[in-house]
Amino acid sequence: MLSFLYARQSGLDDPVRLRRAESTRRVLSLELNHNRDVDRIHGNGINTLDIEVVDGRYMLSGGSDGVIVIYDLENNSKKPQYTCKAICTVGRSSRHVHKFSVETVQWYPHDTGIFVSSSFDKTMKVWDTETLKPAEEFQFDGNVYCHHMSPIARKHSLVAALLCSVLAVGTKDPKVQLCDLKSGSRIHILQGHRGEILSVRWSPRYEHILATASTDSRVRVWDVRRASGSLFTLDQHNGDKSKASSEAVNTAHNGRVNGLCFTADGLHLLTTGTDDRMRLWNSATGENTLVNYGKVVNESRKGLKFTISRGCSPEFVFVPCGSSVAVYGLHSGKLITMLRGHYNNVDCCEFHPDYQELYSGGKDCNILAWVPVLRQPDIEDEETNSKRGGTQAAINPAFEDAWSSEED
Amino acid sequence: MNRKRALIADTFCLTKKRKCAVDSVSEDSQDGGADIKSNLQYLMTLFSRKLFNDTLPPVVLKHQLYSLHNDKTLVDKQVNELRENGDLLMFQLGFDSEAFALVFAEDYKAKVLQGEDGRKTLGTVEKFLAKLLPNCSDLSFNKEKMLKEFLFTDSEITQLVKSGVLTVRDAGSWWLSIPNSGKFIKYFIKGRKAVLGMVRKSKYGEILKTELEGRPTTSQVKFQMKYHVHDIIGAELVECIQTTSGTLLRYVDGN
Repeated sequence: MLSFLYARQSGLDDPVRLRRAESTRRVLSLELNHNRDVDRIHGNGINTLDIEVVDGRYMLSGGSDGVIVIYDLENNSKKPQYTCKAICTVGRSSRHVHKFSVETVQWYPHDTGIFVSSSFDKTMKVWDTETLKPAEEFQFDGNVYCHHMSPIARKHSLVAALLCSVLAVGTKDPKVQLCDLKSGSRIHILQGHRGEILSVRWSPRYEHILATASTDSRVRVWDVRRASGSLFTLDQHNGDKSKASSEAVNTAHNGRVNGLCFTADGLHLLTTGTDDRMRLWNSATGENTLVNYGKVVNESRKGLKFTISRGCSPEFVFVPCGSSVAVYGLHSGKLITMLRGHYNNVDCCEFHPDYQELYSGGKDCNILAWVPVLRQPDIEDEETNSKRGGTQAAINPAFEDAWSSEED
Repeated sequence: MNRKRALIADTFCLTKKRKCAVDSVSEDSQDGGADIKSNLQYLMTLFSRKLFNDTLPPVVLKHQLYSLHNDKTLVDKQVNELRENGDLLMFQLGFDSEAFALVFAEDYKAKVLQGEDGRKTLGTVEKFLAKLLPNCSDLSFNKEKMLKEFLFTDSEITQLVKSGVLTVRDAGSWWLSIPNSGKFIKYFIKGRKAVLGMVRKSKYGEILKTELEGRPTTSQVKFQMKYHVHDIIGAELVECIQTTSGTLLRYVDGN
């Protein structure tokens, strides 16, 4: 560590290198910390978490009971023991609360004045954080599994919402609906999937690129400016038609695809599927990079929300696997560690890039905070320090000179 | 002082190799440039030839290699390189979309020609092998490819299917396959189920790897125990835990 600091100071190293090395070290030492707690408000499982981008201070959570809670993550008390308090909730008593389970919540990317939530009661609500009332409500025909707002969009303020409608005879196909926040109307629909769409993500690199994952085992990448269909479909065999059985040609997974995540630079896309596999794709060409993560247990019937670390090298993927969170190296595919602590299935996890902390929520109604633990500070005795007239460092009591020549 | 063992990134310091029990050291290859080919040859020796009266070439499954190496991506890469060179052939076995069988190209050619000796289909099979072996690394072929690229006629394709080199995949497309491999697959699935049952029925659903390898094989298990153990570890049907007494295999629920 000292060598890194010296190298940065003398200009031998790029400043980014020290930051990345320290971030990586912190992520590798993530642990369940008994000092950090998050208020337990939800009565039913927690489906989704989101930390705001601007300050990293406020976290939203949405639960299966339709309740939405906002927490303050910052520790203003001087003590290490801290509980993240829930500042406000949209509880069951509120007039505007969602009737059924809230599937996705997301802060408005540019400030915390608005957040958007979508739920199984077929609505998507845009909330005003001050008054906790919906400023806008979008009604749909089918369950909304997921929605996402582009984190970098300047030219548009579109929210992509996903619908599935029950595939009965003669009804509509599952589609991706794009809604405009500025005008409050629905702009257009992206058609092409043949099964329920479980996850959607905007690319963090190009504000017009969108990726969707569906139960028909396909992942499609769209450019919303184009009138025709998707740009390309991700193919797990990279076009080698001989490897798959004929039904599985051109599919991203051999089962339902239920999780999507772009890396922070937008160059790669990770997908997870119910075939217990996770695949890494080049997001520009759609090529499968063939990194083998092994068996990533995935039994989720709806979308799985997983996350990738930011600012570390090598990057890490945090995937909920059953009742623990698995940490994999992104490009190496190795399982680094399993974070165990939940009592029931974990549904979502969110990475805090500034403090390298991980928050995960699951069916046991708990949100657990995984905090890096590096070195415990020695407990300094304040009084002895002042007596000695402030000698530089607190001496370990084992090395203290206990022999005294004074006689009482 | 915090004596807990923490994960340390490579940038900071060299990781000390943990002292594990003696038996795992001989099989694990910790060094980076480990040779996949030598591992394949080791696994091929575990294959019981006599069981099939020497009609089958030694077959290894790709995920058995994962039990010998930590880095799955590296294993995949090296296997693909060997396939590009034409040394190794890969087959889709059919009982699991992720289970691929690997056979050395020379062994495959020798056994197939040995099996075809004296039959009418010998000429067609020779022609097919000559086209296939140097540079084709496909797992399946469809009709256009067979007719146009390889210049086979319909009756020749029927002969190839009869001889066992091709298996029907779909109307108009075929998998590449090993002749007489049906028995192999049957014994393999039975044996895998029996070995997994042994792990599951042990106390607490876990058993030391050395103990499992030493258990006598039941009538269901036709292959060597080590062959099956590599298979269940590589396919992640059991969880591998390092303990001070060696590797422990714990049955994973949900299989």
